Amino acid sequence: MSIVKSNYYWWNKWTGYSLLILLLIATPLFTIFFKLFDRPGDSWQHIANNLLFGYFQNTILLLLGVAVMTFLLGVSTAWLVSNYEFPGRKYFEWLLILPLGFPGYIMAYTYVGMLDYTGPIQVFLRNTFDIHVKGSLLDLMNLPGAIFILSITLFPYVFLITRSSFVQQSKTLQEASFLLGKNRFQTFFKVALPMARPAIVAGIALASMEVLNDYGTVKYFGVNTFTTGIFRAWFSLGDAGTAIYLAAILMVFVFVILYLESLQRGNRQYASGKDIHKPLVRIKPIIGKQVLYTLICGTVFFLSFLFPFLQLLHWVSLTYHKVINTDFWLLVYRSFGLAAVSGALIVALSVILLYTLRLSPFRWVKNITKVATLGYAIPGAVIAVGIMIPLLSLDKWIYSTFISAKAAGLFFSGTLFALVFAYIVRFMAVGYNPVEAGFQKIGIHVNEASRLLGARSTKTLWKIDLPLIKTSLISGILLVFVDVLKELPLTLILRPFNYQTLATKAFDMATNEMIAESANAALIIILTGIIPIIFLNKLIKKREP
Amino acid sequence: MRILSLQNIHKKYQDAKDFAVSDVSFEVEEGEILALVGESGSGKTTVLRLIAGLEHPDSGSISLSGQVIVSGKKSVPAHERKVGMVFQDYALFPHLTILENIKFGLKKSMGDVDKIARDTLKLVGLHEDYQKYPHQLSGGQQQRVALARAIAPNPKILLMDEPFSNLDAMLKDQVREEIRQIIKKTGITAIFVTHDTKDALSTADRIAILHKGYLQQIDIPKHLYETPVNPYVANFFGKRNEIMATPLQEGWHTSFGFISDPEAKKYKNKVKLMFRPEHGEVVQRDGQQLTGKIVKISYFGSHQMVKLADDEGKRVTIRTNPGRSFEGVERAFFYLWKYDVEEAF
Repeated sequence: MSIVKSNYYWWNKWTGYSLLILLLIATPLFTIFFKLFDRPGDSWQHIANNLLFGYFQNTILLLLGVAVMTFLLGVSTAWLVSNYEFPGRKYFEWLLILPLGFPGYIMAYTYVGMLDYTGPIQVFLRNTFDIHVKGSLLDLMNLPGAIFILSITLFPYVFLITRSSFVQQSKTLQEASFLLGKNRFQTFFKVALPMARPAIVAGIALASMEVLNDYGTVKYFGVNTFTTGIFRAWFSLGDAGTAIYLAAILMVFVFVILYLESLQRGNRQYASGKDIHKPLVRIKPIIGKQVLYTLICGTVFFLSFLFPFLQLLHWVSLTYHKVINTDFWLLVYRSFGLAAVSGALIVALSVILLYTLRLSPFRWVKNITKVATLGYAIPGAVIAVGIMIPLLSLDKWIYSTFISAKAAGLFFSGTLFALVFAYIVRFMAVGYNPVEAGFQKIGIHVNEASRLLGARSTKTLWKIDLPLIKTSLISGILLVFVDVLKELPLTLILRPFNYQTLATKAFDMATNEMIAESANAALIIILTGIIPIIFLNKLIKKREP
Repeated sequence: MRILSLQNIHKKYQDAKDFAVSDVSFEVEEGEILALVGESGSGKTTVLRLIAGLEHPDSGSISLSGQVIVSGKKSVPAHERKVGMVFQDYALFPHLTILENIKFGLKKSMGDVDKIARDTLKLVGLHEDYQKYPHQLSGGQQQRVALARAIAPNPKILLMDEPFSNLDAMLKDQVREEIRQIIKKTGITAIFVTHDTKDALSTADRIAILHKGYLQQIDIPKHLYETPVNPYVANFFGKRNEIMATPLQEGWHTSFGFISDPEAKKYKNKVKLMFRPEHGEVVQRDGQQLTGKIVKISYFGSHQMVKLADDEGKRVTIRTNPGRSFEGVERAFFYLWKYDVEEAF
């Protein structure tokens, strides 16, 4: 008997596609790593002697400050909305997530504008109490200011994950604690908080990643960090070698945070058993406390979203007739297009990677696929440098080989190709996770059933898997869309010459003392960003008991 | 005619300590129903998935209707094997109607696809529900759709993973019979996996018992029950009593009394006598029987189980009819009409 038409069982075309995608996505990381062995750039010595200490100091203080602030803001509000019943509680559950839609840099210049001489606070003080302040009411253009701004935009990460953890904690555990003689306050510190620790740390880790990624806020406030250092080395000094050295140090920060996060999580499982799952029952405190809790959550919401949002609306009402014209709509159209293309590409690539995983029996496939989602932990400036360098060499090679040895030009670098490529590397995880969840939810059996009924893997993907995970695909595209729309550092470095997106336009205008005018672009970014936040919240709520 | 043959199949999952399937070989004849029986982790589902092509063995070969489908590192992909499978969770496509589900595996070359699908639905008694979606059907109906979908393309072999596990006890007997009927009517060869010996005994022509990845015994139900090759197989089909016995000239001396048996004189050393609860009979006293102190009586409706102890506290369980009353009785008498002798040392 001879074997009929057969294949090597460990190989299929999906494995091939996936390896190719992973190789491309890993390029910027490889670049940074291998270029480290080159000689540092000319300005490295200067930066190492004069600026490096400041970069370290500012970056570390910024990280610590934001960690403490997001912890206080996020955990306290999460505890209140998940444990007590008070007026507005139901609304705060999602209102307190809205600040995530506010990119840090927009929050930064909105606040500066608000505290300014012509800002609403000073106007109010002057008109009502005849109080005159010289210059800004409160100087935000410094490290504490940057900590404040980043904290009020990033605390929702901690709030979201911690609240989810509080809600999932079993009621019986709290009851046990009460019966053992601990009051609500003691129970919070001895039971609820320690049990939520992995969630809290995960939230803070996420916020820290965003801090390392931030360019707009620290640049606007003149706080020098590694990100601004990379920009300076790249743009002002034209020194790629130094930019890479700084990027590598920044990556060390990232790995330390990831390591600490995984270290504290360890193998411990704090989730309580499924069977004993009685949901937490919120208690209604006395009226005085209810008012206090509403005030606390209200203040946080007011400062982190409502106040700056109203300010933006006010600016828009003052300037829209000047700003909104054909060019502006072109800008919107262009930004939306860029974001939509990136979203669709990321989701398509995620489907290929995850489908390979789905068909493959091998652990190594799973392990290397993780590389695809690393980008979310890598600051935009690092990715930009990591992509720019290989693309520049590629362009140089193409020119010298096919056109002319002397001329130089741009085929890939400085084109939209480079920008979209960078978005894919950076935001892969954003689109990948919902697709992964979708595949997990439908299970493997429908896929196997289809193949046993004679459908090839490709036909199975189109006819069975994809129709079943449609919602996940759409939410993946939507989430990437929003992230791309507000992305700043990558876009600033990689965009084609004079190419503007909503984010870069808003940032440019704000840094050029046109804060009120910049509000138009900012408002579109924020409003678009709010849609998936509400959408996401609904998803999370559905999963909660 | 032999339709399926597995030879020396080994399979170990990544990160697993032990083999999921160790050196398993067996053959299946055309038209028969084989049950793969074992506890969870015995490797029975793995065997099924290896035949389907959803897993690949580390070594060994498989051939299906005269063609080698697995050998070494090479393997015929699942979609070309023409194997039908009913999954434990049925795996119906939720976005397709019942009819579309069944038509999914049919190709134009097979003839009138619509007619085949409708005929198959008729066979499982669901021809009126063809426009419904899976979630609109009950669990039992969904299972019949899954069965219809698997057999519609006329596969070489039908595989079923725990086909009865999601059904409640009331429905189970009925479904077992229905499925057996459908399979026999189509003449298809079928293998199903189950952890429930009752499923296997009532539905299968032959039963293969797996334990820790090894095939213990494969035989017709009667042989497995009556002549198990080892204690594991024996115990798998229900309780077995063991008592020590010393051979004498006319019979066995045991702690429960004397059993007259001319065979006993062939043995020199102490032996173990093994018997199932239903191989004993509780009787009135007449001087010849074994006896024990009543320790516990469990009532099951169709029968009672009487637990008896000897003077040292060693226990045996005897099955008896539900009508017998033990009120006010301290000791019961019984005889054995069947037992196996196993040399103890």
